[in-house]
Amino acid sequence: MLFNLRYSLRSLRTRPSRMLLSTFGIMLGVATILAISVTNQTALESVKRLFSDTAGKANLIIVAAESDSGGISPQLLRKVQELPEISAAVPSLHINTLLADQVNTPEIGLSFFGSEIGGLTLYGIDPTQDKLVRDYNLLQGDFLSADVNSLEAVLVDTFAEDNDIQVGRAIEIVTEDGIERLDVVGLMAKEGPGQLNNGAFGIMQLPTAQKYSFRQDELDQIDIVVAPGFQEKSRLEQVKLKLQQIAGDDFSVIYPATQGERMTQMLESYQIGLNFLSGTALFVGIFLIYNAFSMTVVERTREFGMLRTIGMTRAQVTRQVLLEAALLGVIGSLLGILLGIFMARGLSRLMELLIGQSLSGIQVPQEAIFSGILIGVIAAMIAAAIPSIQAGRISPLEALRIRGNVKEGWFIRRSWIFGALLLAISIVILIQNPFPYDVQFRMGSVVVFSLFIGGTLIIPGSVGLWERLLRPFIRVLYGSSGRIGSSNIQRAKLRTTLTVAALMIGVSMIIIVWVMTGSFKGDLDEWLQGYIGGDLYVTSSLPIGRDVWKKLESLPGVAGATPVRYFDVSAKLDQATEEELVFMALDPISYNQVTSFVFSELATDEQGALSELASGDSIFISSVLAEKYILEPGDTVSLMTKTGEREFFIAAVVVDYYNQGLVINGSWVDMNRYFRLKDANAFLVKVDEGADAQQVQNLIEDRYGKIERLVVASNQSLLTRVTDLLNQAFGMFDVLALIAMFVGFLGIMNTLTMNVMERTQELGMLRSVGMTRTQVVFMILAESAQIGLIGGIFGITFGLILARIFMLAMTAMSGYKLDFILPPDRILVALLIALAVSQVAALLPAIRASRLRILEAIQYE
Amino acid sequence: MEVLETKNLNKVYQLGNHSVNALDGVDFLVRKGEFVAIMGPSGSGKSTLLHLIGGLDQPSEGEVTLAGKSLSLLNDKQITLLRRHNIGFVFQFFNLLPTLTTEENITLPLIIDGKNPKQHQERLDNILEMVGLSARRRHKPDQLSGGEQQRVSLARALITEPAILLADEPTGNLDSKTGMAIMELLRISRDQLGQTIVVVTHDARAAAYADRVVFLRDGKIISQKEIDNQAPVQDNVKIIMGEIENLAI
Repeated sequence: MLFNLRYSLRSLRTRPSRMLLSTFGIMLGVATILAISVTNQTALESVKRLFSDTAGKANLIIVAAESDSGGISPQLLRKVQELPEISAAVPSLHINTLLADQVNTPEIGLSFFGSEIGGLTLYGIDPTQDKLVRDYNLLQGDFLSADVNSLEAVLVDTFAEDNDIQVGRAIEIVTEDGIERLDVVGLMAKEGPGQLNNGAFGIMQLPTAQKYSFRQDELDQIDIVVAPGFQEKSRLEQVKLKLQQIAGDDFSVIYPATQGERMTQMLESYQIGLNFLSGTALFVGIFLIYNAFSMTVVERTREFGMLRTIGMTRAQVTRQVLLEAALLGVIGSLLGILLGIFMARGLSRLMELLIGQSLSGIQVPQEAIFSGILIGVIAAMIAAAIPSIQAGRISPLEALRIRGNVKEGWFIRRSWIFGALLLAISIVILIQNPFPYDVQFRMGSVVVFSLFIGGTLIIPGSVGLWERLLRPFIRVLYGSSGRIGSSNIQRAKLRTTLTVAALMIGVSMIIIVWVMTGSFKGDLDEWLQGYIGGDLYVTSSLPIGRDVWKKLESLPGVAGATPVRYFDVSAKLDQATEEELVFMALDPISYNQVTSFVFSELATDEQGALSELASGDSIFISSVLAEKYILEPGDTVSLMTKTGEREFFIAAVVVDYYNQGLVINGSWVDMNRYFRLKDANAFLVKVDEGADAQQVQNLIEDRYGKIERLVVASNQSLLTRVTDLLNQAFGMFDVLALIAMFVGFLGIMNTLTMNVMERTQELGMLRSVGMTRTQVVFMILAESAQIGLIGGIFGITFGLILARIFMLAMTAMSGYKLDFILPPDRILVALLIALAVSQVAALLPAIRASRLRILEAIQYE
Repeated sequence: MEVLETKNLNKVYQLGNHSVNALDGVDFLVRKGEFVAIMGPSGSGKSTLLHLIGGLDQPSEGEVTLAGKSLSLLNDKQITLLRRHNIGFVFQFFNLLPTLTTEENITLPLIIDGKNPKQHQERLDNILEMVGLSARRRHKPDQLSGGEQQRVSLARALITEPAILLADEPTGNLDSKTGMAIMELLRISRDQLGQTIVVVTHDARAAAYADRVVFLRDGKIISQKEIDNQAPVQDNVKIIMGEIENLAI
């Protein structure tokens, strides 16, 4: 065994480039899998921890049922505290504010969860009781004192650092009543509750908070710890029901974890994409190892033959090759783990951008490391299985002579039947779709893979046909030597097939990414133009009074302004489901002057729909909701308003992806009368034709920036930022396509190097009968061009089919209905990319072939 | 008229610290339409001589003149073109392209030269007829026997009407009967087409088909023997074997 190990190590050392390629394959697979599993884990844990940490030890939470249903009364708090099932009920009041002299101008933050303003979130708490539910990690100074009327605050250290705030100094905050002072007595770590509002968080005395926000005798939240004996699930549920009865309909009793549910759900859908990436990376790794080992076996035929002549059994030869694979598996996996941890950092950063929340430290669970190594070694051995069996089959005689043409196996000749069958079954499944919702998606993934495998199996049987079809084109490119090279792809069909398959996957990835990005962005751009309509976006972290509207409209250069307000609302969209939506209130008349809606149906009577919206009791729903709940104009939807449950008429369906499309648009009037709200979150401003938007922006900032706490951004800059964000999100898929293409590239290079090696003697003959070096290069390039074109054609076909499937799956899962966008010239570009990759990959083997010394070549065995 | 002439041909191989003289001052001449066999024991330099004649390798010293051109004055590309147009090669291991048919393999040098094989149909038909493969023109190499494959290889060497045909152990990979049939074909091509031929072989029976046998030992020509090709082959074999015994090679 020791000898075998030493022999394996030496064999690996003699072929460093191949060893590197195999190691790279394993490393890539293991690193991607680890990075993705670690990132997924970290993101999910972070989100869950964020909500459970902020809720701390609370078992239940009482909050307002709707964001504006008013505060919780102290009476309710007392009632809850008196219950025997409750061991602690801790009140808090939440203020969103701004530092009066904020060093950094607040930036409008954008994430897939909507837009948000920097600002500062302050929780008014009872310092004696709060510690029962939340753990604050105090880094500096003191905690809030027992004096409930003190003007003290404890801030998160990162926020303090960003804004140059020290312990012992006072800060000034903006309140409903002007600017107030708070003394900073301590700094806490950005963990637990310190993670709220991404660290722009602090605590203060509850009565002070109530005073500053004019909400005397009001609370926003009660965190509840139940008494021992009630923590078990069913008993806790009973307590929850009891509390809900006491609290009434205006308030909701929820489990802390539910707060993070929507975020978790959204993360999960993104993670499906990441898992697909994991699978691809593993496939890529296996392919690289297979290729490298096949090459090694071809190269070492004589060596294995010699070993067989001196008495090594077939099984021993096979084991020898497998041992080498296992060794590389271990080395590759270890390197992969290091790379994976590094990659996880980058991926987490991307995730942070997507969810607009920083993730706490990367966690690399031990199991992930072990399973990474295990996957690496097993993948390496699976990949090396066929080459190692081939090595075992080398007969001593065969190996010491020149190898003739290997007869095509039965499978190569008949595989197209299986391929066609697999394709037919996959397509039937896709058309029929006889699976329930959840299974459907998993089934979808299986179908995607079986489509790829079906396509791959069809290649060997059809290579001859493709070769003849494409031959005239190759002849035009490379002349007479192109003709010889072209027909060469019919040799070593297994190798050609795998190479074409690798390229096929690469090209189909490109097509999928183009279609998905194009379709998604096309739709999103259209919506964004409307959503971030007008020229300027004026917002604030505090509600903006109605008077600001007039002020903005009266400014020189302003053609019009329109207010928008977002708030949460519960809606009954069908008999069974109640969904939390965002209600976007707007003034239809001014809105239409400043910007416009994107109606999802072209035939919509826009003016009619707008006047219906203006007349009240009507809403526009997003296309996402319309798809998800099968709703259309004319239907009604029930919303929980301040005045009770109320039916709203659907006047139109619009394209709107705010809050993942869980959004409805209603009129300003309805907001005033049914939801008792009067202030705006933001204004969209349109500047006069010919006026300079930048000047108007400066004017608004100068006049009202400080006084009204307004932040102005040009819509162009917002659009650019949203587009950047989207590009970053889609960037992951670009990387995926790039990796797949790179594998195709390596595959071609490997295959052609192997072919050149195998055909050395033949190349010697061709050179001796007068083929020039350039013609040899052309011949190899022609062979590669065939692989490139066939891979390209297969890839484009499968890419289009898969893109279609993905879009259907996306519609089924999220309700996004997208238009299929792929300009026809892109298909040609994809084919050209495949051709270009094939040519670049073939250069090195081609040059190597052309440089063979004729004498050595014809004597090569 | 000489088709081929070598003057003071030397080839030294460096093997580690010591050098081996594979060829040592070989002066050699082949006239148009002559069929010459080169014989010698292993390591005598016969293959090296063939490689130098065919422009596959460069001599350490001396000169090769082929079809009136001195090879030492030509660059790599010019030598390649010279091979393409003036030399036909036949190898021990046939070296056919497995994806091409008999016809395509034979016309390969024309294809490489950018010529349309159809314009040379008559010559192709004649050669196919001569090598007896007219009925197997559409077959691929794996459908042919070893002898048939070597005949394709011979036909490929003849298609360009080369100034000289060089064959390196053409019977080495065939049984004796098939081997002799190939040698017979070479003689026919000399007779019918006036083809100049140089064959390297260590088989006296193969050499017996030539007009002249050149004996090599230790990189030097030690003897040359004219053969009466009107005489029965068996008699010629005896003469050659006798010479081999005389020379103790």
